[in-house]
Amino acid sequence: MTRGAAGAAVLVLVLVPPLLTSNPFLLHLAITVLLWTLLGAAWNLLGGFAGQVSFGHSTFFGVGAYTTMILYLKGGLAPWYGMALGGIVAVLVSLPIGLICFRLRGPYFSLSTLAVAEIVRLVALNWEGLTNGPVGLLITTLPRVAWGGRILDWESKVPFYYMIATFALASMLATYRLSRARLGAYLLAIREDEDAAESVGIDTVRAKVLTLALSAFFTGLGGGFYGLYFRYVDPDAVFPIALSVEMVFIAVVGGLATVIGPVIGAVFLTTIGEMFREHFLVGHLIFYGLFMMLVIRYLPEGIWGGARRAWAKRP
Amino acid sequence: MPLLTVTDLTKDFGGLRAVSRLSFDAEPGEILGLIGPNGAGKTTVFNLVTGFLRPSAGRILLEGRSVVGLRPHAITRRGIARTFQVVKPFPRLSVLENVTLAAFSHEAARRRAEALAAQILERVGLQDKLGSLAADLTLGEQKRLEIARALATDPRLLLLDEPMGGLNPREVNAACALVEQIRADGVSVILVEHVMKAIMRISNRIVVIHHGEKIADGPPERVVNDPGVIAAYLGTRVV
Amino acid sequence: MALRAQPGPVETFVQSVVSGVLTGSLYAMIGVGLTVVFGVMRIINLAHGELVMLGMYGAFWAHALWKLDPFLSIALWVPLMFLGGMLVYRFLLRPIIPGGELNTLLYTAGLSLLIANLALFAWTGDYRTIKLPYAITPLRPFGIAVPIPLAIAFALAIVITAALYLFLARTDPGRAIRATSQNPEAAALMGIDVERISMLTFGLGSALAGAAGGLLAPSLYLYPTVGEILIAKCFVIVVLGGLGSVSGAIAGGVLLGLVESLGAVYVSVAYKDTIGFIMFLLVLLFRPSGLFGVGKS
Repeated sequence: MTRGAAGAAVLVLVLVPPLLTSNPFLLHLAITVLLWTLLGAAWNLLGGFAGQVSFGHSTFFGVGAYTTMILYLKGGLAPWYGMALGGIVAVLVSLPIGLICFRLRGPYFSLSTLAVAEIVRLVALNWEGLTNGPVGLLITTLPRVAWGGRILDWESKVPFYYMIATFALASMLATYRLSRARLGAYLLAIREDEDAAESVGIDTVRAKVLTLALSAFFTGLGGGFYGLYFRYVDPDAVFPIALSVEMVFIAVVGGLATVIGPVIGAVFLTTIGEMFREHFLVGHLIFYGLFMMLVIRYLPEGIWGGARRAWAKRP
Repeated sequence: MPLLTVTDLTKDFGGLRAVSRLSFDAEPGEILGLIGPNGAGKTTVFNLVTGFLRPSAGRILLEGRSVVGLRPHAITRRGIARTFQVVKPFPRLSVLENVTLAAFSHEAARRRAEALAAQILERVGLQDKLGSLAADLTLGEQKRLEIARALATDPRLLLLDEPMGGLNPREVNAACALVEQIRADGVSVILVEHVMKAIMRISNRIVVIHHGEKIADGPPERVVNDPGVIAAYLGTRVV
Repeated sequence: MALRAQPGPVETFVQSVVSGVLTGSLYAMIGVGLTVVFGVMRIINLAHGELVMLGMYGAFWAHALWKLDPFLSIALWVPLMFLGGMLVYRFLLRPIIPGGELNTLLYTAGLSLLIANLALFAWTGDYRTIKLPYAITPLRPFGIAVPIPLAIAFALAIVITAALYLFLARTDPGRAIRATSQNPEAAALMGIDVERISMLTFGLGSALAGAAGGLLAPSLYLYPTVGEILIAKCFVIVVLGGLGSVSGAIAGGVLLGLVESLGAVYVSVAYKDTIGFIMFLLVLLFRPSGLFGVGKS
C-alpha cells in the first residue's frame, strides 16, 4: 500500500465515524480513543524515539488543562485559544524540566520525571489561589461560536470529535515527519547509545530538548481538550502518576517509535477499559498491568512492531 | 604547527589525581602511540581531549584553538573523532545507518550521506554487511564499524582506544594496515594500545604515561629501552 | 484538674524529632529492601511499594480474621514473602533482565499496577485500620508523646536491621550478597552462584518489605494503592543514601522521616511531601552517588 493511499485511508477512517452514527456513547468511546492516541503519540516521541522514558508526562497534560481552564474562567479567553496556549505553556514548562532531568540517564531520568510530576501535583493541590486546590475548576457554559455557518452545538459530541481527531492526526503526522527527518535518526541513535551519538557529532542536548518540547506541546494540547470536553479539572484527574503510566502503556503496548503504534495502544487500552468498567468497575487496571508485563516479556516491540516484523518475515 | 597541543593537562577526581601536568603534541601526518600500564590514565586523556570530561587544569589546542569546555559533539565537528575502548555501536541499527548517522555531521542529504557511509565501510572491509544489525557483528567487525563511524565525521585527528584488544593475530595485522592507510589518507592518529608489537611497529612516536604523568616521549626504539619505562611496566623490584 | 502547659519550642522540636526518627526507621526498612535488590541486580523494582502493601494487608487480615497481633503475624508473613519474592524473581523477573534496564523498569511498573489493582479488586478501596487495645494511650517519656505501636515497630525495626547486618557481615550467603553487589563478575569467578544469590536477595528484599508493612500497619490507614506514595518516598530514601548502600538507606530513611516531620511543623503540613522530592532532585543532580557518596550508578 503506498504512503499516499495509507494516509488517505487513515483520514477516511477518522473522519467518517460521526457520519455513521450519532450514538453519543460510541462517539464518546471514539473521542476517548483519539485522546489516548494523541497522548500516546506525544509520549512516543520522547520515549519511543529518543528512548527517554518519562513517568511524569502528566505534568504537561495537567499544565495544558489548567492553562485552558484558568484562561477561560478567569480571563474569558475562548477555550480553543486556551488549548493552543495550554500546549505552549506546557512547552515552556518543559524547558526547565528538561534542563534538570536530562542531566540524568536511563532509570534515573525516569525517576526524576516522577519526582517532578509529584511536586507539580502537590503544588496544584495546595496553591488554591491559582488552581482552586482540590475543589478544581468547572466550566458551566461554553461560548457561542459558529463554524462553517452553523452555531456549534456543545451538547453534541460531534464538534469535540472533530477537534480531537484533528489533534490526533496532527500528532501522527508529526511522528511520521520526525521519523523521516534527520532528527528522528538522531533520536534513535541517542536511544541506542547517547555517548556514541555525541561522539559522532550529534548535539544530544538540543535533540532531546526539541523532542521534549514537541512531546510536551501535544500532551498539553490533549490536556486542554480534556478540560474543554469534560468541563471539570482537579489535581487528581490531570496530575496523577497513573495517567503518566497509562501514556507509557499505550506507547509500549502499541509499539514504540512507530506511527500507528499509539493508535493500537489506545484502542487496546480503551477497549479493555470499557469491557472491565462494565463488569467490574475497577478491574481494568489489572489488565493494563498484566498486558504491560506480557508485552515486555513476549513482544517488546509492541503489537504494531511485532506485526510489522511478522509481516516482513512472511515467506 | 602541531595538530594537537596538550599543555599541563590535569584531572582530579575528588582526592585522586588521574592525570598530572601532562604535555604532549600530535603532529600532522603521524601516528602517535600512547602507552602505559593499566590505570595510567590513557582513556582519561582521551575523554579529556574529546570533551567527555572537563580538565581540572591545563590547555588543549586543536590547530591553535582551544577545545576546552566544548561538548563532545562540537569537538567532533571541529575535527577530532574517537573510538571507545569497549565498543559502543548503535546495536539495533544497521551497519550502514551507524555510519550514515556520523556522515550527517557534514553531509545533510540522506542519500549522499549513505553513499559516503557505504564508501567508508568498503574501506574497512564491511561492504558485505551494510544491512546487518550492528549487534550481530563479531567483535572484530564491530571495531572496524566503530573506526568507519569515526572516519565518517571527516576528522583531522582520530583517537583510537585499544582498537586491537581481543583480536586474533590476523585481525591485528589487518587493523595495523588499516591504521597506516588512515595515516596515508591524511588523518593523524593517536593510538592507545596494549598490543606492543603492533603499536611499536606502526607508530611514528610514542608517549608513555604512568600514574597520569608522562615519563617518556620519542621514537619507539628509544622509548622501549628507556629505563624509566621498563621500571614502570615491570616494577622496580626485579626478581 | 490542672491544665497541661502549652508545649514550649524545645518540646515541640524534640517531639518533632522523635516522631521523625520513629517514622524514619520504618521508612528505612522499606528503603533497605529496595536498595539491597538494586545493589545485587541493578534493578529498580517499582513494585516494591506493593510488596509493603501486601505486608500491611497481611497483618490486617491476620488481625481481623484470627485476632493475631500484627507484630506477631510478621513471623508468619515474612517467610512467606521471602519465598514469594524468590518465585517472582525466578519466574517473572529473570527472563526480562536481559532486555535491559528500562524494560525491567517498565515491567516492574506493570507488576506494580497488577498487584495494586488485584488488591483493590479483592479488598475494595475502603480505608482500613487496625485497632489495637494498647494503642489508645501513648507513652509519655519526658512528656513526649510516643504512640505504643510506633514504639514497638521502632524497636522491632532495630532488631530486624541488626539481624540483617549480622547476616550480611557474618554469614556466607550474606557475604556472597555483598560480594555480588560490589562486583558480579568477580563474584562469579570466585565461585558464587550469582543467579542463586540474586534470587535470594530478591526474596530478602521482599521479606523486608513485608516486615516493614506489618510494622507500619497499626500506625497508618491501609488502602491498596498506598504503594504509590510509598515507592515514591522509597526512591527519595534510596537515592539520598546512595543506591545499593544498606547503611545509606537507613540514614536516608531516618533523614526523610526527620525532614518530613520538621517540615510539617516548621514549614507547612501541605508541602511536607514536596520537600522530600525537592531534596531528591537536588541529590540526583549534584550528588548522584548519594549524600554520603557511597552509591553506585
